[in-house]
Parts: sequence; structure tokens; C-alpha cells
Amino acid sequence: MERTVTVVPEAGLHARPASKLVQTVNRFDADVSIGRADDGDDGLVRADSMLSVSGLNVAHGESVRVVAEGDEAEAALDAVCDLLSTEVEKNEADGGETE
Amino acid sequence: MRTLEGIGSTPLSGIGTVRWHRPDADLTLPDSPDPSGPSDLSGSSPIDPDAERERFDRARDTAREAIRQARDRAAERVGEEEAAVFEAHEGFLDDPGLVEDIETSIADGAPAERAVDDRFAEAIAQFEAMDGRMAERADDLRDVRDRVLRALLGTEAADLGDLPDGTVLLAERLTPSDTAELDPDAVAGIATITGGRTAHAAIIARSLSIPAVVGVGESLREVDEGAEVLIDGDGGRVIVDPDAAERAAVGGASAPVVGERVSTADGRTVEVAANVGSEAELAPAADRGADGIGLFRTEFLFYDRESPPTEDEQYEAFAAALEAFPDDRIVVRTLDIGGDKPVPYLDLPTESNPFLGSRGIRLSLDEHADLFETQIRALLRAAAREDGNDLAVMFPLVSRIEEVEAALAVVESVASDLEAADIPHAIPELGAMIETPAAVFLADRLAARLDFLSIGTNDLTQYVMAADRENDAVADYHDPLHPAVLRAIDRTTTAAEGTDAWVGMCGEMAGDPALTALLVGLGIDELSMSAVTVPAVKERVAAIDTEAATDLAAEALACETRAEVRELLDA
Repeated sequence: MERTVTVVPEAGLHARPASKLVQTVNRFDADVSIGRADDGDDGLVRADSMLSVSGLNVAHGESVRVVAEGDEAEAALDAVCDLLSTEVEKNEADGGETE
Repeated sequence: MRTLEGIGSTPLSGIGTVRWHRPDADLTLPDSPDPSGPSDLSGSSPIDPDAERERFDRARDTAREAIRQARDRAAERVGEEEAAVFEAHEGFLDDPGLVEDIETSIADGAPAERAVDDRFAEAIAQFEAMDGRMAERADDLRDVRDRVLRALLGTEAADLGDLPDGTVLLAERLTPSDTAELDPDAVAGIATITGGRTAHAAIIARSLSIPAVVGVGESLREVDEGAEVLIDGDGGRVIVDPDAAERAAVGGASAPVVGERVSTADGRTVEVAANVGSEAELAPAADRGADGIGLFRTEFLFYDRESPPTEDEQYEAFAAALEAFPDDRIVVRTLDIGGDKPVPYLDLPTESNPFLGSRGIRLSLDEHADLFETQIRALLRAAAREDGNDLAVMFPLVSRIEEVEAALAVVESVASDLEAADIPHAIPELGAMIETPAAVFLADRLAARLDFLSIGTNDLTQYVMAADRENDAVADYHDPLHPAVLRAIDRTTTAAEGTDAWVGMCGEMAGDPALTALLVGLGIDELSMSAVTVPAVKERVAAIDTEAATDLAAEALACETRAEVRELLDA
């Protein structure tokens, strides 16, 4: 089963959101993969890998496709989509001054 | 005395004794037989894959424990945001793809160290091949790799938490772990061969207020252990064996705090104000003798919450600034957000080129006219306070006269709404930020219509030089001493001559004491900067002779290259 969701966290799939995603996926008995919605099956990478997830370089606002298989596939999808569509407590930028 | 150029990362200065940090030296994999040691890589005795696998597992446990300790330490000393990087490190350490690859190498007969080093090298190379911030993740991977290798080789990491007072730490690169360990009281500064100012390590150094210059390049290697070095994090310079003049210029802290306004030696008053990005910065700015606030960023009011701040919340924030500086001007910049600084509940579009996109005043007049109106209401009410006379408001990223007309129309209509509702209000001083080449070319018209102009040199440099300020590859372009930027500043001040508009400056350039004479010579009336540099700039202002400064500015404007400008300023 699969779902498509827009990435809400400001940092995109980097830093804290990426580590939270990997931690979340590891809690379930399911094989979860993730990729850009537009990239098709070839763009899917394993969602339990910090390297693969951050290597996607997905930014805030992009659509991603999440595919899950296994006994807890549905629960894993719920948890992952919930995470991706929720802002984390703080973004990790350094304040980004622009004067 | 010898000066090396790099990228200023923490805008503070410090002097100390050089200590080189060479972590890689500890981690050179042994290639000669060492039958006694646990890490026999010689090939002369057979390697037992099961034993290597066990060593790898134990090393990973050790590294995980160390990363968690580093996380807790960083959370306590630096902040939760900076500590988050260590959660990512734990993710890399336990990355199933990477772990499987390493285990496969070990099963094929590689010693654990070799397997770890090779497989991490591949992952690091992949990240380095990507752009900008992704390449910086390679530093995170190196950090994790070094922890695992150290655990395997049984070497201790150099204890960076226990350096002698007055150490200037030099390194090829510093990892986030290294940096979070540093004691800000002991470390007078850091400089690195590689790295950019947006790397995690650089951000942590700034949070710890450790003077830092990054990206100095290979020339840094020639600085000897034990040498005396000045780290000028403002000017991006590493000065070996600094002379008396350079020593004297070090650090805002060394100059006395002067509460009153200062004038040049011949009597021209120059306001020296502070930039603030939160209410918490108001009192420290006043303590350092700032003549008011030259840039009150309003973005902080919008971050870290679920919905926009109310009119009353904003009013309270402006009132707090006016109260902190009862006799001085407070220049509030209206909301300056864009695709690079997203605010989740505003649902800003992702743009391929956010610095050239919908941001600053453009958003305020278009998609977010409602937020702008609320902010203007709060400002007009604050201006009616007893201490509200000194309130000023400026619009960011102006590039067209129509934008100024539209913004002034909003001010007028908000004023009539308030009038109709019988709510006390007043119209504050109104100004435009000069950040785009378009605003420079229109500066005469802007000055005729507004009360003041404020030059934002960080963005002005970015736009004049066509160099993304976040992109380390073009960091060298991002220097306001390039003659094109100086001419843009001169054009702005010249355009305002003969009008009633005053001209301020609120970029990093304004806070560099080495440039104060040049800026006064260029005709800037108000300099606004990080509060920490206020005392040093005031001290400089008092020593300026306006005529000499004007001559200096004329000579600088005649220079063709940045090198010529620097030579002139160093003379």
C-alpha cells in the first residue's frame, strides 16, 4: 500500500525530520520506502536508511510517495505520513538573517 | 605580520596561541604488521571475519554511546536545535545500508577498520558530489566514521574540552562534535582550511560566541604550532603575529562602553545603533551603549508558532523596544520572509530561486497583505505612545516606486481606519531598505518620497555581485569591499544629499570597526550592527576627521579591485 504526502517540516527531509522518519520506520514490522512523488518506482529508497533519506534531498513543500509492505504496513504509513505532515518543534536553521 | 583571508563565521575577534587539531593523524590505519595489537591489518596472520564483525559491533556500541553523550552535552551547553545534529549522527551510524555494506566487506576478509574506512569513504564521496548544504552532511559522516575508527583503533579523541586558556584552534575542518566540546572561555578563536559559515560546526561556534574564520584554504597550513594569531571573525581574517594596531582593534569588548552619542573629531554626529532579532537582545544592546535600534527584525514574532502574531502581541514587542531606548530611535523592518525562510502556516511556495522570488515587501503587498496591514496597525498605535516619537518603519527589498506608493497607501488607509475607530495612532518615520540594484538606481526618488534609506549590505552585496550568500563556492564574491558595492553605497548616499532623508546602514559591514572611517566618508549617518561591536565602532567614530574620511572614500571609489581597496584601508 502507498500514500502521497506533502512534506511540511521546514528543514525538509534533513536533520531532525530525517532522523525522526528513520526512527519511526524502525518501530514497525514493515518495509517502508520513500521517494519523490514525480520520480516513480525508480526514485524509491529505503526509508530506514538515514543516508538514503537525506540523499533524496527533499525540501519543505515537496510531495513524496511512501510505500509500505508487511504486517504493520498500514500503521507504519499512518505514522510516517503523520510525521511528514507535521511541523517539528523548531527548524534547524541558524536564524537566516537577510538584511 | 601576515594576513590570511577566509570567511568570517562568528563576528568576534580573539588573540591566542596556535594549537593544530589533527584528528586524522590519530586515525591513520596501520599498514605494518603489529602482532601484539588488536587491530592486525598486516595480512601476515589470517583475519577472522567473525572476530572482526564482533569488533565492529562493539565499536559501533562505543560510538553510539559517545554520540548520545555529545547530544546531551550539546543540548545543555548550546541548545536543543544544535543538539539535533547528533540524532542524525546516530541515524548514520545505524544506517542499515551502510552497516550491511561494512559487514559484507568484513565477511569478504577485510579488517574492520578497512571496511569502515572504505564504505564511509564511498558515502562521503556521494554527499560531496551534491550541492551546497548536502555537501556539508559529508562532515557529519566523517564525524561518525572517526568515532567508529577511534573505537576500533583504541585511540582517544584529542580532548578539546580541556584546552589551555588562550588557545586558537586550527584544523583542516572541525566536526560538530569537536566544536560542541570547546570551552568558549578557553578558546580564543578557531580557523579552518575548509568549510562554510552555514556548516553545523560554524553554527555551533556562533552559538558559543567563539570567534571563527572558515574556508581559509591551504595557506592556513603554513601557520606554525605555537604561533600567535589573531582571529578576526568580522573581517574574515587570520593574522599571524599581529602588530600593535591590529591588537588594539580586537574585539568590541576591549573598547569602553559609551552611552552618549558620539561625534567625529570635527563634530559630525554619527549614530551607532544595534541590530536585534528578539526582545531578549534589547537590554544587552542598551548595555553596550547602542544609540537605539537600527534594525528591529520582526520575523522572530512569526517563528515557532502555529499562527501569525496578533496586532496586540506585535504592539507589545514594539512598545518593549521603545521602553528599552526611551531617547533613541527604533527602526522596525516590516516582515521580511521568503522561500528561504519559510513560515509553515503561511504556506509559501517552494521557489527554485527564493532570493530572487516572492519575498520582503513583495509578499507584504500581495499574498500577505493581511499580515502587513496588521503589522502596520500595531506600528501606528505604538507610534502614538508617549515614547513613540522615535519609532521608524522600513520596508525590505524595495525595487519599484510602485511598492513604496502601495506601502504608503496601506499606512494611510490603516491610519484612517484607526481614526474612524477613535484609536490613538501616529505615523512614524518611513523608509526603504536599499538592498537591490534597482533601489540604488532609484535612490534619489526614494529619498524624495521617504524619511530615510537604510542600506542592507548583506543583500546588497549578494544582488550587486550576483552571488548567492548561502553558496560557499561564490563566498569570495560576497564582500562589500568589491568596488561595485562601494559605488552602489556611494550612489545611494549621493542621491540622498540635498533631500531631508538620512541614510543608515544595517549590514555586517556597518559593524566592522576597520571600515568605520570609510563609511563615514561615504556619507552614512547611522551605522547599525550586532551590539557586540558597538563600543569599538563608537571609539573609531570619535577618532575620525571627516575631511580625511571623505578623501579616503574618494580614493576607495577610484579603486578598480577589492585588493586595491584593502591595500588602501590597510595603509
